Order: sequence, then structure tokens, then C-alpha cells
Amino acid sequence: MQSSSIDIAAAPASKPGLRLLLLPLVILAGMGLSVEAGLLGPLGVQVGHLWATLSIFGVGSAILFLLLLFSGPQQGPALNTLPRWQLIGGFLGPMYVVVLTLATPHIGIAMTMIAILSGQVGKSVLIDHFGWFGATRKKVNGERWLALLLIVAALVLIARG
Amino acid sequence: MMNLIILLAVVVVAGAVLSVQAAINGRLGETVGVLRSSLLTFVVGAVSTGLLILFFEPAHAVSLLDVPKWQLSGALFGVVYMMVMVGAVPRVGTAVATVAVIVGQLGMGMLIDNFGWLGNPAIELSGSRVLAMVLLGLALVFMYRSSTRQA
Repeated sequence: MQSSSIDIAAAPASKPGLRLLLLPLVILAGMGLSVEAGLLGPLGVQVGHLWATLSIFGVGSAILFLLLLFSGPQQGPALNTLPRWQLIGGFLGPMYVVVLTLATPHIGIAMTMIAILSGQVGKSVLIDHFGWFGATRKKVNGERWLALLLIVAALVLIARG
Repeated sequence: MMNLIILLAVVVVAGAVLSVQAAINGRLGETVGVLRSSLLTFVVGAVSTGLLILFFEPAHAVSLLDVPKWQLSGALFGVVYMMVMVGAVPRVGTAVATVAVIVGQLGMGMLIDNFGWLGNPAIELSGSRVLAMVLLGLALVFMYRSSTRQA
């Protein structure tokens, strides 16, 4: 269900040898996301978009439940002590998956992924610029506007086919 | 053409929604751990999708139980992705991991499209599709440069 988060930040890295070993693994994981999207489109056409979405969340819930059960007691506070708004992430995920099943049969997987990435990048630039959702208003520098412009151009190219 | 533009707009909005979700879940994951925050997301997702199905989904001739089993394996890739990222991000850094994921995503996406794998309609790799990829790549470079400068 997840896609890559685009809020790129430079983070400290460790030994170069380990990095080289891990990179192919991360690339493979990214390829898996496209395979997931590729499975969803045709499935949605056959059984309905919501059923296809349920298959993702149902199977995912079951696997994670088993993983959690066998990984023993967890650190940190109990879920029912957390602020309620932190729990709404679960409602946003299905929106994304439904859109994936709707879009991939029409524009293809690669282009769907580009459009998703555009939304991620665009959102972060606009939130910073206008200070939406209570974020501190930051000046968005020229490079990030240029990035947004390039992305819009990419979308126009996709729309024209 | 008009439909395509609307569809594209919907997908872009879904991307924005996804990054809001990632931000909320990131906070949650830091406090309660990745496994529990993901389980919560998936269970809430499954329950809300189930409710929508009960009340709004028209009946279909084919059910999830009728399709070939491999078509149901999508969630496995999502869970594996999550576990790889949990293990790899602290070691290779967020920026490198993000770029590697996108490379894998788009590369595999192009392959599936081009050959019509997994029952998808085949879409040949055209000049404008390649150009769109290049523009996105450049955009990511600029995003990365501006974030390292601020840090």
C-alpha cells in the first residue's frame, strides 16, 4: 500500500560496503510497489475497485497481526492513549489504493507512479509556501519551484500521451 | 482527453493524501513502533473499505475467491517494502533510500507497462513517456539539492 515518501532529507549514512549491499534490496522493494500496483489494476476491473482494495488491507492486516503476535511485547505507549488524530492515517490509505486500481488500467503503472510522486512533491512545496495545516510558513526557494515546474511539465506530457 | 485530465488530477491528489498519511504514520511509528502503527493503518483501512463495500459496492459476477490466487499477493509486496525500509533507511540514509525506491518503482512500472505483464494492457514506451521520466528525475535532483542546502 505504501509508496515512497518524497520528503527528501539528507541523513547520515554508514559504511559504504553495507550500503552497496542494501541498495539493490531497496530498489527491489521499490519494484515490489509497482508489482503491487500492477496486480491491483486488473484485479479491480474483475472484482470491483473496493474489493481489490479490501484484498490489500485484509491480507496486510492479517500478516501484520501475525508478525506482531510473534515479535513479542512492543515498546512505547498503548494505542488507546494516543491523540485521536494520529489514528486517521488509516482512512487515507484506502483512498490511495482505490485511486491506484482506478488509474493504472487507463494511464499505465509508470505514469500513475509519476502522478503520485507529483502530488507528494507538490504538497510539500505548497504546504511550506502557504503554511497550510499549521505548518510554519517557510520561504520556498527557486530550486523547489523549478522542481514543481518540471513535474507539471511531466504531467502535461503524460496527459498528451 | 477530458476524462484523462480529471483522472490525472485525482491521482495527483491521491499522492498528496498519501504524503499526509505518511507524515501522520511517521509520527505514530516513532512512538508506538512500525509494526503497531502499520497494523493500525491496515485494520482501519480494511474496516472502512468493508463498510463502503457493504453499502455502496454493486454486486460483481466475479469475487475475490474466484480469481487466480497470485492476483491477491499485492499486500505481500507492501509489507516486504515496509520491512526493507525499516531496516535500510537508518543505514543508507533517507535520501538514498528514497531515490532507490523511485528508481525501482519507475523502472518496474515501465517494464510492466511495456510488456503488459500481470494482465495489464501493454503500453509501449514512447518518446514523451521517456521525457516525462527525465523531467521527474531532474525534479528530484532539485528537491534533493534544496533540502541539503537547508539542512
